[in-house]
Amino acid sequence: MLFFSYFKELVGKEVTVELKNDLAIRGILHSVDQYLNIKLENTRVVDQDKYPHMLSVRNCFIRGSVVRYVQLPPDGVDIDILHDATRREARGGG
Amino acid sequence: MATEEESTVREPLDLIRLSLDERIYVKLRSDRELRGKLHAYDQHLNMILGDVEEVITTVEIDDETYEEIVRTTRRTVPFLFVRGDGVILVSPPLRTA
Amino acid sequence: MDPTSKYSMGFVFIGTETISVITNDGRHIVGILKGFDQATNIILDESHERVYSTKNRGYFDCHSTFSVFKLIILVFWIAVDSNSGIQIRSVVGELDEELDANLDLSKLRAHPLKPVIH
Repeated sequence: MLFFSYFKELVGKEVTVELKNDLAIRGILHSVDQYLNIKLENTRVVDQDKYPHMLSVRNCFIRGSVVRYVQLPPDGVDIDILHDATRREARGGG
Repeated sequence: MATEEESTVREPLDLIRLSLDERIYVKLRSDRELRGKLHAYDQHLNMILGDVEEVITTVEIDDETYEEIVRTTRRTVPFLFVRGDGVILVSPPLRTA
Repeated sequence: MDPTSKYSMGFVFIGTETISVITNDGRHIVGILKGFDQATNIILDESHERVYSTKNRGYFDCHSTFSVFKLIILVFWIAVDSNSGIQIRSVVGELDEELDANLDLSKLRAHPLKPVIH
């Protein structure tokens, strides 16, 4: 639940989601669920010349399982909170 | 103040717990490698890394000589969430005993 | 609100909303959303696949005014790959129809999308 909670806090911030098919989509994080499915708004594909497939898409749903990375905004990362949450999760999750 | 409970390695994930806030090496599927500071992880090996350097290795075959050309591309990312299903191995930093 | 909730997805007008789907095996399908479930299985109507190429022909449109069942047959006919159904989507986007109408697909050149490698 650590990352589900983390991404919920990140709603409203701009992120870049890199997929396992090499597509990278930048947009405002609209919502996230327990599977880390992601909905982005105001999206644009990072390399539009190479990937014009989504030119007319302005918001999209991304299945959690196809995500490789999410580039996070520096102001969306509180290192101390993350450390505490990770230690708590490691104890609780066994 | 690390108690004995917190500093011993009983199960594989403990090794990763002890690497928190340290620079680690992560080998991923599709010939990608990361080096970065571990800020968070869970039991799926989802992670958040900071000051990340990514190295992607690609192999191309030369059209004429059929030789393998190994290329590496590098980039840096300030903060990266890594989905655990792509992780092959995680290596903690070298420690001097 | 979770991303599969129909309100959160923005698909309040199910039956009229045109969406764009990229499948795990790299296909791009556009059609009218008739329904979906928690596992993001999707039923599309009046759907077509957009097949991309960098060759002169560029892009061709395989029109189908059928429901998803006939689309699957059509897709199999195009790809001749009976192993890859279209059950698993990777990206589902709401299509801005005005933007899409302004796209000159006959001029668009693109490499086909790579399949998702897990």
